[in-house]
Amino acid sequence: MANKDQPSTPAQTSGTSKSAGKAARRQAAQAELRRVQLQQRRNRLVWMGTVVVTVVAIFAVVIVFGIMRNGGSGAKTTAATAKLTKTMASIPSSAYDSPSVVMPTNPPVSLNGATPLTEGGKPRVLYVGAEYCPFCAAERWAMVSALSRFGTFTGLGQTTSSGRDYAPNTPTLSFHGATFTSKYLVFKGYETQSNQVQGGSYAPLDKLSSADGKIFDKYDFSPYFTGSNAQGAIPFIDFAGKYASQGASYSPLMFAGLTHQKVADDITDPSTEISKSVLGTANVFTAAICQLTHNQPSSVCSASGVTAAASALPQ
Amino acid sequence: MSTTRRAIPIATVVVGLVLCLAGLGVATYLTIEHFNTSLTLACPDTGTINCQKVTTSQYSHVLGIPVAVLGLFYFVVALPLFTPQAWRSPSPAVRLVRFGWVGAGMAMVLYLVWAEFFGVSAICLWCTSVHVVTFLLFCLVAFTEAWVPPAHPAQAS
Repeated sequence: MANKDQPSTPAQTSGTSKSAGKAARRQAAQAELRRVQLQQRRNRLVWMGTVVVTVVAIFAVVIVFGIMRNGGSGAKTTAATAKLTKTMASIPSSAYDSPSVVMPTNPPVSLNGATPLTEGGKPRVLYVGAEYCPFCAAERWAMVSALSRFGTFTGLGQTTSSGRDYAPNTPTLSFHGATFTSKYLVFKGYETQSNQVQGGSYAPLDKLSSADGKIFDKYDFSPYFTGSNAQGAIPFIDFAGKYASQGASYSPLMFAGLTHQKVADDITDPSTEISKSVLGTANVFTAAICQLTHNQPSSVCSASGVTAAASALPQ
Repeated sequence: MSTTRRAIPIATVVVGLVLCLAGLGVATYLTIEHFNTSLTLACPDTGTINCQKVTTSQYSHVLGIPVAVLGLFYFVVALPLFTPQAWRSPSPAVRLVRFGWVGAGMAMVLYLVWAEFFGVSAICLWCTSVHVVTFLLFCLVAFTEAWVPPAHPAQAS
């Protein structure tokens, strides 16, 4: 056993300094490893943080634009696609004549004593609505369906109702800039305002002619339509001074979230609720027009769906 | 050569499991409501907040599969990936699958949020709660992967 007071031999001193050096090197290596690990952790945090911040930023953009869109204007009106126009113009007669079609709850009323509305010797159908209006949006599908049995539309628009009204962004067609040609009748459609907010209101669009303005002011009010909410309400349809219709015949909510083409495709499918409602109303409109055209064309006016719908019209 | 198990904080495991179970619960409710026509979601059905409008819109199905069912499937698969064993697994494959799964979930959530705002123009509160849970799971995985180093081969003692 060595005496602890005895001084170390040179060999002992050399061994101690070697192990001290080894420990120091180990400590340095561990410190370097810790430094590298911390640096790697920092790099991973920066990378993952960037990913999360990017995801949050994308969400923020979608939500902000979504709120701005829903808070105001509807979709900008564009020309209806060729496919959409073709689908609406070629609804099979079997769909119109389906026994499951639903009659409208508010069929046209009689305009007793009104002067017949004609143009060029043909009965004239007048429509007054606006692009922002959700009830007009719903009713246009039936209008286009019914009128397409008597003639051809060109220049129809496709748009949506307002993003901030009831049933926001209801997909629909627009009569603004559209023309209708038929050997049986004349159709004039006014969209008095667009769906684009401008200075706190919707931008003006079509201005009614003086004569059409007088018709609207006279027949879209009491005694033809009663109730405070019904005075001058849109959509308003005048069937050549014989019948008039006001408001939507079915709920615009049924079109929520659908594309224009999906609505048109659903209309051609008699099993869908949209087809039952839209074509039920289209049949009543068709029956009203048939009374103006002396039941021409007979292939349309003698269809079972149209003859059944005629019972919904006032005698 | 053996590998060490990852040292995952217990809080991470607990939070992950709680989020998975919450998402599973809401997704189950939405799925039951989807198939049970006599049941209506406890949610306003007018104005911008309108669950019914969202869950019956054309965006309520993806490739013909109800989104509610996809949500349920998502959380059923996620649950085993958030167990303590899965978190502590040294396998890089488990980490990759978990990260890929929450990433796919976020992509789906982004699409559904877009559909709510730009397609349906309505917000479904129940769906939003699932979106929030999915987002939190994504954050949890991202920051855990950044904080906890991947498993290294065990050093010989």
